[in-house]
Amino acid sequence: MSRLSRRELLKISAASGLGSALSLAGIPHAVAQQGEQLLVVMWGAAWIEVSRKIVDAYVVKTGDKVAWELHAGGAMAIVAKVKPAWPHVNYNLISGWDPVFRAMIKEDWVEPVTLDEMPALKDIPPVFFQKNAKGELMTVPLSTAGAFWGYRTDLVDKPIESIEQLLEPRFKGKLCVPFPVNLTGLLMLTLAMQRGGNERNIEPGWGFLKELAERGQIGRVINNNSEFINAMSSGETSVAFFNIGAWTQVRKQFPVKIMSKIKDNKGFLFNEGFAVIKQNDPKKVAAAKRLANHFATPEINEQYNWPLGEGPTNPKSKANPDIADVFYKPDELAQYAYIADFEYMASQVDGWAKRWEQEIAPLIRRS
Amino acid sequence: MSSLNEAAAPRPRLSAFQWALLAPGAVLLMVLLVAPIALMALESFRPFVAGRVGSGAGWTVRNYTELIEPAYAFYFYDTFRIGFIVSAIALLLATPLAWQAARTKRRATRVSIFGLLIGLLFMSLVARLYAIQMTWGSTGPLAFFGTLIGVPARSSGYAAIQVAIGLLHFVVPMAAMILIGTFQNISPRLEEAAASLGAARWRVALTVTLPLAVPGLLSAFMIAFAMCISNFVVPLILGRGIVLFTTNLMYVRFSDVANFPSGAAIGMIMFALAGFVVYALAGLVRWLAPAEARP
Repeated sequence: MSRLSRRELLKISAASGLGSALSLAGIPHAVAQQGEQLLVVMWGAAWIEVSRKIVDAYVVKTGDKVAWELHAGGAMAIVAKVKPAWPHVNYNLISGWDPVFRAMIKEDWVEPVTLDEMPALKDIPPVFFQKNAKGELMTVPLSTAGAFWGYRTDLVDKPIESIEQLLEPRFKGKLCVPFPVNLTGLLMLTLAMQRGGNERNIEPGWGFLKELAERGQIGRVINNNSEFINAMSSGETSVAFFNIGAWTQVRKQFPVKIMSKIKDNKGFLFNEGFAVIKQNDPKKVAAAKRLANHFATPEINEQYNWPLGEGPTNPKSKANPDIADVFYKPDELAQYAYIADFEYMASQVDGWAKRWEQEIAPLIRRS
Repeated sequence: MSSLNEAAAPRPRLSAFQWALLAPGAVLLMVLLVAPIALMALESFRPFVAGRVGSGAGWTVRNYTELIEPAYAFYFYDTFRIGFIVSAIALLLATPLAWQAARTKRRATRVSIFGLLIGLLFMSLVARLYAIQMTWGSTGPLAFFGTLIGVPARSSGYAAIQVAIGLLHFVVPMAAMILIGTFQNISPRLEEAAASLGAARWRVALTVTLPLAVPGLLSAFMIAFAMCISNFVVPLILGRGIVLFTTNLMYVRFSDVANFPSGAAIGMIMFALAGFVVYALAGLVRWLAPAEARP
């Protein structure tokens, strides 16, 4: 009978300890050595919840490991965070939407994606992608989202037909609006369009906004999804303009009418998704593309968008029936929907933010 | 005469060993504090190109001149006004707590006060702020308090009150902890001597304890004030986007618009104003405090 030496015993113990640790972490031994560590930026609330669920299964399958970082405030904040650190950033995938992607593409931080590397993208309509000057695909569109006016029907006595009605005394202190930087100034655009303006003729919007502020209608100014959900769920405010994802979270608990089809105004459509960030290590880039592709596959794209209340970009995925009343049929698009010139608006938001601080905030404070 | 001799005496020189001891801290201070502020000062004179991130090439004073708008004076005024009021209330609340903790002979009372203060310091501020919002917010059970004092719950004035309550949660424990040390350093024998000469307790407190505590009180006030005017999260959560501090303006510039030069200019103005206020308060300490209590 052979006896184990002390050195052999230590070796076996160390090996079995490591094996147990890997098994406990749910990582198969062989794959654990191959996996890449990725850092992904995602929104909080329902976005991170559903993403974690998707990635938990993905990690076991591929051996890639994913660490999360949440957006602080609007998605544009990540751009300000990357800028001082570039090129020494560890982000591999950043979730965002069209204007944020335009800013990142302009700074040359984004890795182009191809249909050969990411087969799931072949299903996605080309119009959803953001492209660079060479026409290369620069984003991985995952959701079709929108920004709309809406209200809680349990807190508003009569239905709202037009946002002109928001000037009525019954809405004093009841309006929740985003700071003009948020949604890249879509609030300014909807108000301008109500009075005959557009992105390049925003002045009518300022006139409308001043009337609302002077009459004390604005009860809360928000900067992110969580603030919106808090303000609308607590009943502090009953009417708001914000993105469909945040509206969906409120709709899960309270009766809400989303005014996506108003006769004298429009709803705004845009895409959300991932940008693959440039990195020196090609293995990390490949792993980031692998993960983004996974999110774009029909099954996962459906699983991702269902709880968010956003439309899947992959036509093979089914949309949540709860949002059927919000989004548009093809023949309704021209009448009710509007796709803003986000590139132009992004160049204006600094001026709009300052004008808000100088002209609107003092009115709200005084009213 | 002795003071003249002291003034004429040459200042002691630091030895090489003392310099060596100072060096790591000084280098760390330069790297962590002076260098970022110097960089921020430079950034504040850079131009911003709309639609881009950060600053462009060249130099400009526009980031400062645009802050001359009267609307911006209001943000600075509001930040300092709320900070001043909250710091004064914090001192009023913290002083009796600290005095009791320093003077009581009952161990249970002392432990309870310390437990309360340390508990408040360690408990998550964000959790406390949301608790305040749920309780005092316009739909909370204590919202009627606003109506009682003539400030409607949905008004901006009520949002300012909520911000003040949030800041008090933040600064009262800090001010009380500072003042406990102040009161512990005042010999109780001075109070006993005044009492033995027939002074009432209130008179002892007003004429003996309080004058000797002036430097500590003003230090606590200054720290509370600095914590208030530099606070970001309290107005962010409780201000409803209506009560904004200059820190919130800075955040929007840096984070949401990526206009670093403008954010840096607001930061530099706050830095200068806060420095001036601290200098003025330090002068006030020298003027108010009795000679024996001066630092």
